[in-house]
Amino acid sequence: MKCALLSNVNVESIARQMVRHEVYIAQGYGAWTRELADPASGTLSFGPSSVFLIIDGAELVRGQRGLEPTLAEVCQHLAYIERAAERLPGIKFFVSTVDVPARALRPLKEEHVERRLEQHWHAGIARASASHANVYIFDLKELVEQVGRSLLYSNKRWYLGGLRYSTAGEKLIAGELERILDAQLVARKKCLLLDLDNTLWGGIIGEDGVKGIQLSETGEGARYRDFQLRIRELGEMGVILGVVSKNNETDAYEVFDRHEHMVLRKDDFAAMKINWSAKAQNIAELAQDLDIGMDSIVFIDDNPVEREAIRTELPEVTVPEFPTDTCELATFLGRLYKDYFFTLASTAEDRKRTEAYLTNAKRAAERTAAPSIEQFLTGLGTKIFFTRAHDEDLARAAQLTQKTNQFNLTTRRYTEQELRALQTTPGAEVFIASVADKYGDNGKVFASIVRRDRHGTAELDTFLMSCRVMGRFIEDQILDQLVRELRANGLSRLRVQYIPTRKNTPARAFIERLQGGRLLSDEESGAQTWEFDIAKASPVTKPAYAELRTQPMRFFKVLP
Amino acid sequence: MEERLIATVASALRVPKSVLTLHTGPGDLEAWDSLAQINVVSEIETEFGVSIPVEHVTQIQHIRDFLHYLQKTP
Repeated sequence: MKCALLSNVNVESIARQMVRHEVYIAQGYGAWTRELADPASGTLSFGPSSVFLIIDGAELVRGQRGLEPTLAEVCQHLAYIERAAERLPGIKFFVSTVDVPARALRPLKEEHVERRLEQHWHAGIARASASHANVYIFDLKELVEQVGRSLLYSNKRWYLGGLRYSTAGEKLIAGELERILDAQLVARKKCLLLDLDNTLWGGIIGEDGVKGIQLSETGEGARYRDFQLRIRELGEMGVILGVVSKNNETDAYEVFDRHEHMVLRKDDFAAMKINWSAKAQNIAELAQDLDIGMDSIVFIDDNPVEREAIRTELPEVTVPEFPTDTCELATFLGRLYKDYFFTLASTAEDRKRTEAYLTNAKRAAERTAAPSIEQFLTGLGTKIFFTRAHDEDLARAAQLTQKTNQFNLTTRRYTEQELRALQTTPGAEVFIASVADKYGDNGKVFASIVRRDRHGTAELDTFLMSCRVMGRFIEDQILDQLVRELRANGLSRLRVQYIPTRKNTPARAFIERLQGGRLLSDEESGAQTWEFDIAKASPVTKPAYAELRTQPMRFFKVLP
Repeated sequence: MEERLIATVASALRVPKSVLTLHTGPGDLEAWDSLAQINVVSEIETEFGVSIPVEHVTQIQHIRDFLHYLQKTP
């Protein structure tokens, strides 16, 4: 990924360590505000998708006399950042927090003004981050606090070359920056599965009973309570939580229902498998119920035998080692977050996800009760809102292309920036749809990219839908609507491509139920291209089960 | 000691050990610029637990100069 480092100290040595990415460093490291303000600056003409501002606190206040003028100058710096963020919505700005070491010799009667400066800066970047979607906080000060100044900084390197950080410090910072860049490229894990005994609480519920297990506000039992608090935070960030435990269900439920220090509640979990079957079998079933791939699951169990069994039987599931010292449980979860679930900002969609999976389970229950699938589908009261994507939809659309593996015809991944560029590309359009039903709002769960040529043929570059709403023929109804819209825009043929992956068999089933197609190519890899005459007929065979609304759509304003 | 020194320099410069001898110095390799020189000094200090005075850093012409310095260090 293309990124730029801007700093008030020499960070070239940090850039050199980030070998997996293209990193731009401005010439002359004093001029970071100018680099931001000037659209023709080296940094901005490099075309980075992310800009990191690594601000050294000591350097920020060097040569300043008095608190007031320094605060004024800091305000000005912050204004540069905000203006750049406004002007360049396609660039993500990661602004560091600052560490301002106090003057070493200071009478105890004197205020520690450096703290005030830090606070001022941090309040400023928090405001910038709250008011600009593309401004993020890079917590450099936290790194300083974790490692300590004596290890993170190096006086010798400073005097020799304006390098503030020690080699170890540089490695640490480079690692954090790479993690942020990678998070924009790699799909994070979706689901955390947890054992119960000696994992969520200390002891064995079947033997020790609700009163006997370790779980408390303070003291030894707080190890587990703190662990649970962190797990709940992870759930709030959109990670699906589940339980896989060998226990009597009633025993386990008693803890959830009756233990006063239990943080996690039953409805924090999208699914629970509490029985005596093999855990591998439970996990496989759970993956199916939740409609997620094995490779998006992280499984936590204190028992090494269980861990080994899952590693052998379900090699795609991630099984981290369990901390030998249970005082480190909360720290352990912090590391799991960084390694598997790290995300720049949890979108509102993420927060809704666990809710959606929960209601999905309810929907599944209803399916067994309803007399026919048709009645079930109609009874869901599904509402689809299908529209051309607007600017504010693009972050979610990009996220969908990154994360959706199952119902995805072509599995092409796009970044937000690429989608933004697509919107202005002649003959290309991005569509998005949200789905709601009587159980709740599923949010934006569908995205499609359509490209057209000059001769009346449209092609589905991308056609995907989150697995949350699969199995309800929503995709069929959307395609039917899309065909109508294309026809109204003068297009008479539609090309549909299917590129098989290990996971997208649901997409194949979709292709197979379309009618009237002509197979244009059928490759050895299984990839197929179909062409449909849409001037009069629709390829869709399924009846509409949902109520579909659209906005009047004029698109392809510019021909290719 | 020599091997460990060369390995340390190679890691600081991100080059294979095979391109370095005790006679290699700043200027012989594209990767060994003034910034890399500081990294070489830092890595050697960490690896061998020594402190090389700032005055000495500018005088280093070849890897072997480090060796002489390290051998002088108790």
